[in-house]
Amino acid sequence: MADEEKPRPVIPKGEPYIKTDVIDPTFMMQYDACTRCGECDKWCPVLDAKDGDRKYSPMDKISRFRAFMGQSYGLKAKLFGPKRLDEDDIQDFADAFFHCSTCGVCASVCPAGINTVDMYEATRQQLVMRDNGPYGKTIMFPKLIGEYRNPYMKDQKQRLDWIPDDVEIAEEADVAYFAGCTAGFNQQVLGVATARVLNHLNVPFIYLGEEETCCSSALIRTGQPHKGDIPKLNALHNVEALEARGVKKVMFACAGCYRVATIDWPKLIGRKPNFEVVHVADLLADLIKQGKIEWKKSFDNKIITYHDPCHLGRHCGVYETPRIVLDNLPGLKFVEMDRIKELQRCCGAGGGVKAGIADVALDIASERVRDAQAVNADILASCCPFCRRNIGDGRDNVYDQQGSTNFDLRDNPENTMQVEDMIVLVAELMGLSTKIKSQEEEDKAAGVEAEAPKHLIDL
Amino acid sequence: MSDVSNFSYYSGISDYGEISAFIIMIGIAMFAILIFLLGMYLNMQKWGGGSASHFLKIFLKSINHEKLGHHKRQSLVITIIFDILLQRRILKRSPFRWVMHMLIFIGWIGMFIFSMIFAVFEVLHEIGIGHFDLVEIRGSLGFGNEVFGYMLLIGLIIAIARRLAISDVVKRTQMFDWVLVLGTLVITLTGFIAEGLRGPVLDATSGAWTFLGPSDLAEILALSHVAISLLFCIAYIPYSKYMHMLAAPMVLLVNGGGE
Repeated sequence: MADEEKPRPVIPKGEPYIKTDVIDPTFMMQYDACTRCGECDKWCPVLDAKDGDRKYSPMDKISRFRAFMGQSYGLKAKLFGPKRLDEDDIQDFADAFFHCSTCGVCASVCPAGINTVDMYEATRQQLVMRDNGPYGKTIMFPKLIGEYRNPYMKDQKQRLDWIPDDVEIAEEADVAYFAGCTAGFNQQVLGVATARVLNHLNVPFIYLGEEETCCSSALIRTGQPHKGDIPKLNALHNVEALEARGVKKVMFACAGCYRVATIDWPKLIGRKPNFEVVHVADLLADLIKQGKIEWKKSFDNKIITYHDPCHLGRHCGVYETPRIVLDNLPGLKFVEMDRIKELQRCCGAGGGVKAGIADVALDIASERVRDAQAVNADILASCCPFCRRNIGDGRDNVYDQQGSTNFDLRDNPENTMQVEDMIVLVAELMGLSTKIKSQEEEDKAAGVEAEAPKHLIDL
Repeated sequence: MSDVSNFSYYSGISDYGEISAFIIMIGIAMFAILIFLLGMYLNMQKWGGGSASHFLKIFLKSINHEKLGHHKRQSLVITIIFDILLQRRILKRSPFRWVMHMLIFIGWIGMFIFSMIFAVFEVLHEIGIGHFDLVEIRGSLGFGNEVFGYMLLIGLIIAIARRLAISDVVKRTQMFDWVLVLGTLVITLTGFIAEGLRGPVLDATSGAWTFLGPSDLAEILALSHVAISLLFCIAYIPYSKYMHMLAAPMVLLVNGGGE
C-alpha cells in the first residue's frame, strides 16, 4: 500500500480530511480517554517485533488519530476551517495502524478501559473507505470471500472433500459442527479430528457442507466489512441455514469462527441467533468432568503448554476449558508459559498481519515459541488453526536460528517442539486416526494399514 | 489597596480598584465555564459525527446496556466504585503508578470540591441570600485544603520524577504530557505561595510564613492563583490531556469497566 503511487483524494474546501461516519460515537470518545500511561506499549507484540519503533506504539497511534481529529473538528477548525492534512502523513499513520493483530492485550491492560479492538476495526474501515488501507495482500479478501465464499479460492462443493468415509454426519441433530474454511480446505486434519472425536463421544451432529460460507472474520478484522456487505450477508446466510436445520448448539473448533459467531454475528444480523455457540473445548471439559472420556493412548512423559488464542480467550473469555482438557491428557505434564490468559502474548497471525505483513507475524510467533522453550515444552498446543499455522512457522524460524548452535536439536531432529491443535491431540489419545481422507485412501490403495502416531504409547 | 479587616474572599482580596474582587472572580469563573462548555460541546460534536445530541443519545443508551455479542457486564455500581473511584485497573498493573495517580486524583478532586464549597458560600453571601462568616468557613476548610494540596504536590513530584528518570517513560513523553503535569504543578505551587503570603496578612502572629510579614503581593498572587486555576483546571479541560479526567470515566461506564 505504502509503496504504490495512487491518486490523491480531492477534498472539497472546508471539508475535514478524515471523516468519521462509520466510527461509533463511543469509540470516537475513547480516543480522548487515553491517559498516555504507556501500559499498552509494554504488552504490544507488534511494537515488540518492531523493536520499539514509536510509529507502531498503540499509544502513539491513538495520539496521532486524536491529533488528526483535533485538526479536523477542534476549535481552530471550527473558527478557521479544517486544517489541510498531509496525505503522506495520513498514509504513514494508516500503514502503522494496520500493523496490529487486533489481539486486544492493550484493551486488557488499559486503565481507562478503552475497547481498542472495536475502536481499531471501525477506524480501519474509515481508512479503507478513504483508500488508505487495507495493507498488503489483505486487499484481496473481499474478492476471494465474495466470489468463492472462502478465502482459499476453492469451490463450495469441495467443502465436503475432507469428510472421511468413516465419519458419520447426521441428517438431523441438536448439534451442528461449523468447520470453517481453514479446517474445511486448508488444515483438514482439524475437521477430521473434530468429526471423529464427536462420533466417538456419541455426539450426533449435522454439517452444513456446501451451504456453509466463510465467517468473514478476515474482512471484519481488516476494516473491510462494508465491501459488498459480505460479512453481513454471510452471517445472515449461515445463521438462517443453521436455524433452518433446527439445531440447538453450534460447535466450533476454530477460534476465529467462534469469535465471529459469538460477537460479530449478533451485531451483524441485529439479533441473537436461536442457537447456542459452543467451543469443542467446552464440550470436552464437561465430559472429562463427568468421567465420560476414556483415553486409549498416552504420551511418554512429555511437557505440554497452552497458547490462548486471542479470539477464544481475550475476545470471548474461554480460558479454562482448554486447560482442563490438556491437563487431563495422559502422559503429559501441563505447564504454563509466561504471559497467559488475559495477558497472553498473541501469536501474530490475526488482524490481517499474517496475510499482509508476514515478517511481523513470524517475529511475534517466534517470541511465543521462545516462551514455550523457556518452560521446556515438548508440545505447544492451541485451539486455533491460525495460531497453529503461525506458531508452527515461528517454531521453524526459531529452530533455523538456533540450529547451528543447538547440537541436541541437530543430532535429534525428532526433539523438535510439536505445535498442535488440542483437538488433534485429543483424537490421537482417544486412539482415533487423524489422517485425512486422501491419505487414508492412498494407504488403502497401497495396502498399508493406518498406524497410530509413533510418539504415542498404548495404555 | 488592601483592606486587611475585610480580607474574606477566597481570592484573598476585597476590592481591586473600582471593581470588587468578587465581580472579578465571578467574571473569570463564568468565562472559564463558558470556554469549558464550548470545548465539551465541540468534543461531543466531534464524537457524534457532527451532532453533540447524537453523541449524548448513544452515550446514555450505552451505559449499563447489554450490547449484542458482548460479555455480560458488571454492575454500574461496581464500575463506579472500583474502576472509576478506586481505579483498580491501574492498581492491577502497577501499585506504584496507582499510588501516584491516586495522590493526584484525590488531591485534585479534593481541592476542587473544597473550592466549590467555599465558592458557593461566598456567592450566597455576596448576593445576600445568606450571611456567613467566610473567614470561619475558610478556616474550617483549611486542614482539608492542606492535606489535599500536599497529596497533589507529592503526586506531581513523583509524576515529574518518573518522566525524567525512567527511560521508557522519558522516551514516550510528549509536550502534551508535560503541559498537564507542569501546569498543574504551577497551580499547586502558586496555591501554596498564595496561602503562605495570605496567612501573615490575616494574622501576623500565626502561620509558617509570618517571617515574611504582611505583603502587598498577597492580594495579586491570590487573585492570580484563582484565575489561572479556573482557566487551566476548568476552561482548558476539553482542549488538553485533562480531558481524560472526564472521558476515561465515561469510557469505563460505556464499556462496563473495560475488558
